[in-house]
Amino acid sequence: MNSSISFSQFDNTSKIRVKKVEAFLNSVELELSPDIEVFVSAKEKSKMIACGGLSGNVLKCIAVSPEKRGEGFVLSVMTELLNAANDRGRKELFIYSTPKNIAFFEECGFQLIEECDSKIILMENSKNLKKYKNNLSRLKKDGNVIGSIVMNANPFTLGHRYLVEEAAKKSDHLHIFVVREDASDFSFKDRINLIQKGLADIENITIHEGSDYIISKATFPTYFIKDKCSINELHAKLDLSIFRNQIAPSLNITHRFVGTEPYCTVTNNYNQNMKKVLGESNPKSNNIEVIEIERKEYKDKAISASSVRALLKDKKYDELSNIVPPTTFDFLVKRI
Amino acid sequence: MKLRRSMLFVPGSNTSMVCNAFIYKPDTVMFDLEDSVALSEKDSARLMVFHALQHFVYKNVETAVRVNPLDSPYGLLDLEAVVRAGTDIVRLPKTDTVEDVLNMQDAIEKIEEKIGRTKKTQLLAAIESAEGVVNAVNIARCSDRLMGIALGAEDFVRDLHTQRTKQGSELMAARSQILLAARAAKIHAFDSVFSDVKDKEGFLAEVKYVKGLGFDGKSLVNPNQISVLHDAYAPSQTDVDWSLEVIEAAKEAEEKGLGVVSLDGRMVDAPIIARAKWTLELAVASGMIRE
Amino acid sequence: MNILKKSAYAGTLESSDAYIHVSPIQENEIKLILESSVEEIYGEAIEELVVQTLKEMKINNILVKVQDKGALDFVIKARLQAAILRACESNEPVWEELS
Repeated sequence: MNSSISFSQFDNTSKIRVKKVEAFLNSVELELSPDIEVFVSAKEKSKMIACGGLSGNVLKCIAVSPEKRGEGFVLSVMTELLNAANDRGRKELFIYSTPKNIAFFEECGFQLIEECDSKIILMENSKNLKKYKNNLSRLKKDGNVIGSIVMNANPFTLGHRYLVEEAAKKSDHLHIFVVREDASDFSFKDRINLIQKGLADIENITIHEGSDYIISKATFPTYFIKDKCSINELHAKLDLSIFRNQIAPSLNITHRFVGTEPYCTVTNNYNQNMKKVLGESNPKSNNIEVIEIERKEYKDKAISASSVRALLKDKKYDELSNIVPPTTFDFLVKRI
Repeated sequence: MKLRRSMLFVPGSNTSMVCNAFIYKPDTVMFDLEDSVALSEKDSARLMVFHALQHFVYKNVETAVRVNPLDSPYGLLDLEAVVRAGTDIVRLPKTDTVEDVLNMQDAIEKIEEKIGRTKKTQLLAAIESAEGVVNAVNIARCSDRLMGIALGAEDFVRDLHTQRTKQGSELMAARSQILLAARAAKIHAFDSVFSDVKDKEGFLAEVKYVKGLGFDGKSLVNPNQISVLHDAYAPSQTDVDWSLEVIEAAKEAEEKGLGVVSLDGRMVDAPIIARAKWTLELAVASGMIRE
Repeated sequence: MNILKKSAYAGTLESSDAYIHVSPIQENEIKLILESSVEEIYGEAIEELVVQTLKEMKINNILVKVQDKGALDFVIKARLQAAILRACESNEPVWEELS
């Protein structure tokens, strides 16, 4: 009987209780995820025995003390978390976890989206992936070379423009996915708007709003990954596996284009993983050829969105006009 | 007289218990809408119990429901749901005075009249305070709907400024008073729950003790306690043999039209016959003899 | 007549129970999403039960999501009714509609 167990719900401003959750998580070798907004915890005789958290539409830091495992009790914890999410109108939820938990989360109404490297899984409790794939397949175009680019474009530069031009030349049709997250300096709405304006004259392209299935680094959880060095790699592999196995087949994508990365090692590593995950053949899905395109330079320096942001900060508007298209420049100037 | 040794507490919010409690064959299943149900689940648990009471698996077992107090926002809603759904007994929590019982009786009568229920809902008053214990004698006699009174020990010891112990000396006065009040009013007396489900020896010792005091039965929190309790309440073979003889003698006397029943040269009066019947019922329930 | 004012839920994910989420929709129809471990065998029966329960409560524009964990009929009914009454912000159930 569970009547001696009590649940409570609180948000991340409840410092004392959050501290207790953190201590509890540490006791079961997990970490507190800093982006959690809402917590649930279960206590038995004033001792914490379980917790869980909600960050956006991702359930995180779900933990049950060892002596309470295997009693079906964790289903009560999940019920409390679902209630907390529903109370906030968040019905379509995701969970990152390890493969050994697949069956359990299936019992809670979640379905596997992708499993990667036997280390990490992504699951959702809506059937949105299927819907998303159906919608995508309506935008399918015929051709031998169906290219793809995933971009954040924070904001859209002549570098992005050059990458698209080159890729579009090599493709019968080119699909561009814009990462959907508002953790960037420029909002998703502004970013996609500038991309659409900046590419209005190129005909064989489709611009797609990103989805929950293109995983931004910002929402990727790290609290259960013990080897911190592998975080970036796991993120890259999971994101790329979903792209290869779930997204690309709906559009018959054969190629993926990416700019070379001379500066940032994280991005460079991502590109190397891309060649592996997308390029190598495996029985699950067709492989996708990865083509790196030399980055467009201005005055011997590769154009990047981060340099645009730096120039903006320093108010060097003249220089700015040399590395962004007029549509982006107009927007930036008006925003000042 | 119906056997009421075991009264199994089933939290109205614990679905699998609500669905399965009948399997354990307690004498009475008591659904709880009060303390074991979180405030946010009161409405949902009420509906669950409302439907469970009407389900065929509970047609052949006595059902009781502990409702929330009438002065809470849930009490009347609970009451309407369970009286409509046909519960046999309503357990009235925290009964301090005769008025508490009469108020509950009035509320039940109104509902029964409204819905045209003819089978009278019975009442079980849980006494959980010093005031209630002091008033027990009057409470026990105040309503013909009252089938029994029960001790609620957790709240009672708090009210007494003490806590429960294994020996149970803190409950001595209350147990005696409740038992005397029930016997004087010719209704059932029930002992409180024993909540440490892991302590089987402690539970058995308490059961033997309250059986010795004269209690008809006990509220239980865990289905595993049922068989232990029933075994402890099983009569001895000697009692059963003797009771069979008593009943036989009584039958014989009746057939012969004798006014007085005698056995082994001694007179057997009505209370003894009633007691023998009860012993045999226990023996049947314990599987010692067939009906 | 019960009118859904908001989304609401009732129940748990525990074994023998059901977790039910309801929300009002514009169209005059009953949309049901059912997830059940026993969907193949009992899917139709659960659907009938949901439709019948909604009919009794006179509700005809609703999205119902049922996560069934092997619940008996009366459990699904109780949880669905609880979710609906919460969505209607109704404190006084009409018992005749809840038989």
